Amino acid sequence: MSAKGRPEGELLPPGGKARSAKGAPVSAKGRPEGAPASPGATAQAARAAPPLLAATGLVKAFGGFRAVDDVAFEVAERQLTGIVGTNGAGKSTAFALVAGQLAPDAGSVTLGGDDITRLSPSARARRGLARTFQVPREFTHLTVRDNLLAAAPRTSGETLSSVFLQPRRVRAEEAAQAAIAERWLAFLNLAAVADLHAGKLSGGQKKLLELGRVLMLAPRLILLDEPFAGVNPVLIGEISARIRELNATEGIAFVIIEHNLEALKRLVSQLYVMDRGRVIAEGDPAAVLADARVQEAYMGGVI
Amino acid sequence: MTAYLVAVGIVALIYMLLTLGLNLQYGYTGLINFGHVAFFAIGAYASALLTLSGWPMAPAFAVGTLLAGLAAWPIGLLSLRLSDDYLAVVTLGFSEAVRITIQEERWLTKGVQGLPGIPRMFQSLGIGEYAEIATLALLVVVNAAAVALVVHLVRSPYGRLIQAIRDDEVAVEALGKHPARLKVQVFMVGAALAGLAGGFYAHFITYLSPDQFLPLVTFYVWIAMIIGGPGRTAGAVAGATILMVFLEGSRFTRELVPGVSEVQLASVRIAMIGLALILMTLYRPQGIFGERKE
Repeated sequence: MSAKGRPEGELLPPGGKARSAKGAPVSAKGRPEGAPASPGATAQAARAAPPLLAATGLVKAFGGFRAVDDVAFEVAERQLTGIVGTNGAGKSTAFALVAGQLAPDAGSVTLGGDDITRLSPSARARRGLARTFQVPREFTHLTVRDNLLAAAPRTSGETLSSVFLQPRRVRAEEAAQAAIAERWLAFLNLAAVADLHAGKLSGGQKKLLELGRVLMLAPRLILLDEPFAGVNPVLIGEISARIRELNATEGIAFVIIEHNLEALKRLVSQLYVMDRGRVIAEGDPAAVLADARVQEAYMGGVI
Repeated sequence: MTAYLVAVGIVALIYMLLTLGLNLQYGYTGLINFGHVAFFAIGAYASALLTLSGWPMAPAFAVGTLLAGLAAWPIGLLSLRLSDDYLAVVTLGFSEAVRITIQEERWLTKGVQGLPGIPRMFQSLGIGEYAEIATLALLVVVNAAAVALVVHLVRSPYGRLIQAIRDDEVAVEALGKHPARLKVQVFMVGAALAGLAGGFYAHFITYLSPDQFLPLVTFYVWIAMIIGGPGRTAGAVAGATILMVFLEGSRFTRELVPGVSEVQLASVRIAMIGLALILMTLYRPQGIFGERKE
């Protein structure tokens, strides 16, 4: 337990992370009273191979305010993980650190054992780490279909030379990607609105659209930032079902920030609770949510 | 009268090229360029100086276009580091810097004296007044080619991606793309179109001076784009035409408004354009060809 969230933490070799998350579910620094016993059996089983995603000692301060303060978490292949916490607990900041929109002041992020801490968001996305946003960032003036196609990974069609000199190759690739897009549109029940401008969709449809867009990347891990916020109950059920299906059939792991504890609890196998920039509890969702300190921190004792 | 209409048509087509370039930058990619006139000036002066030193017109045009495109490269790189409003200020400053450089580097540009005697297009063919009509015809062809180029580009995956950048650059990056490369390229392509327009302008007007390249030209192009509808190629075409109708058509209103002198009317004309722009933004903010926004 030597190198915690201090700056040298980011110099840890990839092997160094094995020590962190499970050994001390609660970052020990400044909060030695520890965490509830962590069931976390799934992650334990995956100990042999490097975890799909591991964040270690992440720190991010804005001015004097430590939005994320020595946070560590681990996600195994195919695992469904939830992150809960009050507004301002640092969940979205942690997402931005993992996905690369923000650079951490300290700590590291590894994907499949590779250090990705210094990679750009687009490089992380190409490695299979995709994310959606709390406030949907749809391409307002593109159609729903074009939103998906804009995300498609390409070898041609996005350079000036291929657009003007290799039209046939561009068309062939476009046709292949269009077929994939149609499949996801149908899967997400967006086929009927495929030709609408994305700005005209409802809040829930925009959440689905963002999911469809990242699916075009064929990712290994998707970070969903409040997929159920402002979404009607029927659609929440539908989005949950799709997440389960993608997890089961495509083997995609998810990390989900969500305030809807009921929906989240049924979905994930591992839950982290954040409070004031720290992880205060982690493990089996039901056990974590029943923990008295979690209830106190998260809900003022009322769940 | 025919000569006058041909001249108006030529100027309208020059503005159309400028508008196509700006529309690619702002309308499709969301890059705020308030210094469009700088690239117009670079194309005009480069082509003029080269032909005056004995170059044939075609390579002079090409060099002017290329130089304008290259001049946009550093500005494009800057655009990666600046948010919209700062980019607007920087590009405006750049265009003034270009104008003042032209004004001060007298050894090259003759400064405020200006460059007279720039060869007219098709003059050497000895076809007299038909040279202007030939210029008009060539401009029609060039504009048609530019429209075809822009349409092909914006309908390609490349064009889809630049429009995605315009709508949300953070999301584009999160999807594994590199907005930077495309933004710089679009800046350069748009500037090259302005440079090409500059070449036509120089060889039509035959006299260049720095005061022809005031920011007002940039704003005329913005007006044309906004009236036509940003992000619409047809809008750029229509907007430039309508701008010219306002600029030139209001000349003929002098008879209708007694007691207004020529000089006063020039100001009234600009006021008219301002009024049209205000009405446009109030009642049809998406432009003539734009779709209504939610």
